[in-house]
Amino acid sequence: MTLAFFCLGSLSLLGQLDSAVSEKDRKEWIDWIYAQQVLPDPEDLDKSRYTCGFKGSSWAGHSYDPQATSTKYDPNDTASIPNTYTALANLLLLGDDLSRVNTKAIATMLKHLQQEDGSYAPTYGSSETDIRFVFCACVISHILDDWSGVDIDRATAFIRNSQSYENAMGQSPEGEAHGGSTFCGVAALTLMGKLKEGLVDRDELIKWCLARQISGFQGRPNKKEDTCYCFWIGGALQNLGAFHLVNDANLRSFLMSTQTIRGGFGKDSESPPDVLHSYMGLATLSLMKEPGLTELDTALNIPIAGVNHLRKLRGHQ
Amino acid sequence: MQTDSYANNPEWEDVQPIPQDDGENPLVPIAYSREYSEAMDYFRAVARVNEKSQRVLELTAHIIDMNPAHYTIWQYRQSLLDALKMDLNTELDFIDVLAEEKSKNYQIWHHRQVVVEKLGNGSREIAFINKAIEDDSKNYHAWSYRQWVVQAFNLWDNELSYVEDNLRIDIRNNSAWNHRYFVVFSRPDAKIDDSTVQREVEFSKRMIKIAPNNGSSWNYLLGVLRKCGQSVETLEPFLDELSKDNIQSPHLLSTKILLYEHAAQKQERSINDEALKLCDELASKYDPIRSKYWGYRKSQLQAISI
Ligand SMILES: [Zn+2]
Repeated sequence: MTLAFFCLGSLSLLGQLDSAVSEKDRKEWIDWIYAQQVLPDPEDLDKSRYTCGFKGSSWAGHSYDPQATSTKYDPNDTASIPNTYTALANLLLLGDDLSRVNTKAIATMLKHLQQEDGSYAPTYGSSETDIRFVFCACVISHILDDWSGVDIDRATAFIRNSQSYENAMGQSPEGEAHGGSTFCGVAALTLMGKLKEGLVDRDELIKWCLARQISGFQGRPNKKEDTCYCFWIGGALQNLGAFHLVNDANLRSFLMSTQTIRGGFGKDSESPPDVLHSYMGLATLSLMKEPGLTELDTALNIPIAGVNHLRKLRGHQ
Repeated sequence: MQTDSYANNPEWEDVQPIPQDDGENPLVPIAYSREYSEAMDYFRAVARVNEKSQRVLELTAHIIDMNPAHYTIWQYRQSLLDALKMDLNTELDFIDVLAEEKSKNYQIWHHRQVVVEKLGNGSREIAFINKAIEDDSKNYHAWSYRQWVVQAFNLWDNELSYVEDNLRIDIRNNSAWNHRYFVVFSRPDAKIDDSTVQREVEFSKRMIKIAPNNGSSWNYLLGVLRKCGQSVETLEPFLDELSKDNIQSPHLLSTKILLYEHAAQKQERSINDEALKLCDELASKYDPIRSKYWGYRKSQLQAISI
């Protein structure tokens, strides 16, 4: 599901999604995504309240059914927060109307996965809680226009507590400040409208982010530059209103050096291209308003075509 | 590790494999190897009937070896540990081997924590983590798992010297710096008195003198001061000393600017021109990649109202 997002997202940034995908594929892919939705089991509502949302693939072997309205409860076939986020993003990019999404079930799942400290577990039964899933939960709630699955005060407190002595976010409290975690924390605060309350020191955070630029960006002090951190940190700066302070000439030349002759971006000039870094490279160029690329919403991390489509669905322009 | 195909294995002949049903045009087509597909077909069948047995345990090991990122397989394996009343030390052996190749994988660390939590004994963990950090001194999973282990089993005593060993190898290892902050300030029975603060401040100053361009030690020093409510102004003699030695690290100049900013705010007067000059020098000479930032910083300083 996530790999599909990087592919569809890249096509959308290139403005090629509509022409590259046939109407037949578009419809069938939307169906495939819906077939990954785990729905409440009317016979086991109690247990299935933890498992609803989207899973990454139909790995558990249940029969393919894009029109289902319920799912038989299976403890081994549960949704996850990251897959729910990328499934919804994919549906928006493909122009679906979200009419088959069970919003209430997803909000209920989120509510049950939020922890005492405000963080989220990715899936029922996991204790792997951290700031990535807080971000995903916020994007999901924004897309569904239903925030009942997020205790905003607790989520804000968690993000605040995750800022280390470097004033940037780690994966969880006490963790080392990290570009990916910082993107997640800042974007989640942006979506919750809590940038003021959630940041310990905005100026110092901006400084930390800018200090990560070598030509491209590194994810932590004294690490190597990497295409994906150009976006994670560039996106955080954009959400903080400070992307204009980036040295775009250097950033651009780094990104160009990671592009390969076969097309696509690698993590650095020595690495082969992959779909994640290709999306991140394009997304960063989009932040720099590269001609020929469409814009991107950095709080949601979704290309603008998907976001505009969502606005239309919600009835505002 | 099983390598024979399951279909020809008499041990599995009672199981009817279940293939994945993915419709006719999946968005993410299956590009699995035959070996992986077959193992998953059998896994599906046994998971469907919730079979908890030794052969399923071996099957999960086989699948994890091919694809350690599949969270459901790990969860299933955890349920097997309980159901089969497994010797959890054997499970740690299994992870030891796995981690040699796949220590960047999230799930492995998470699984390790689940097992150790069940076991209630962390005596093998520090050696396990040390090995991962030797291979990759900035492995994020290893350091954050280390925090958990140290906290859960009260293993604080040797951590400061472990940090110093790591910084001796690489003074720029930011993960080690972060761990130092954790060890000093998060220990539940820590007494953060003046002598502790003094020790940490002196330690970072010493490290800065060795490598004045190292952002990690500057960040640490400023972080300690902030944490303990000490003013940056106490750094003035140290900064002067560095300047006298002709050190021109951007971090030094940036910290000097901070001092001027504080002074201006405290005395409610406009910023000393020296600070504006430093911004210009950083922008043009010492930190040109951030020239826009230093221009912005300059305008911030000029805006301090009198
Ligand atoms: Zn990367």
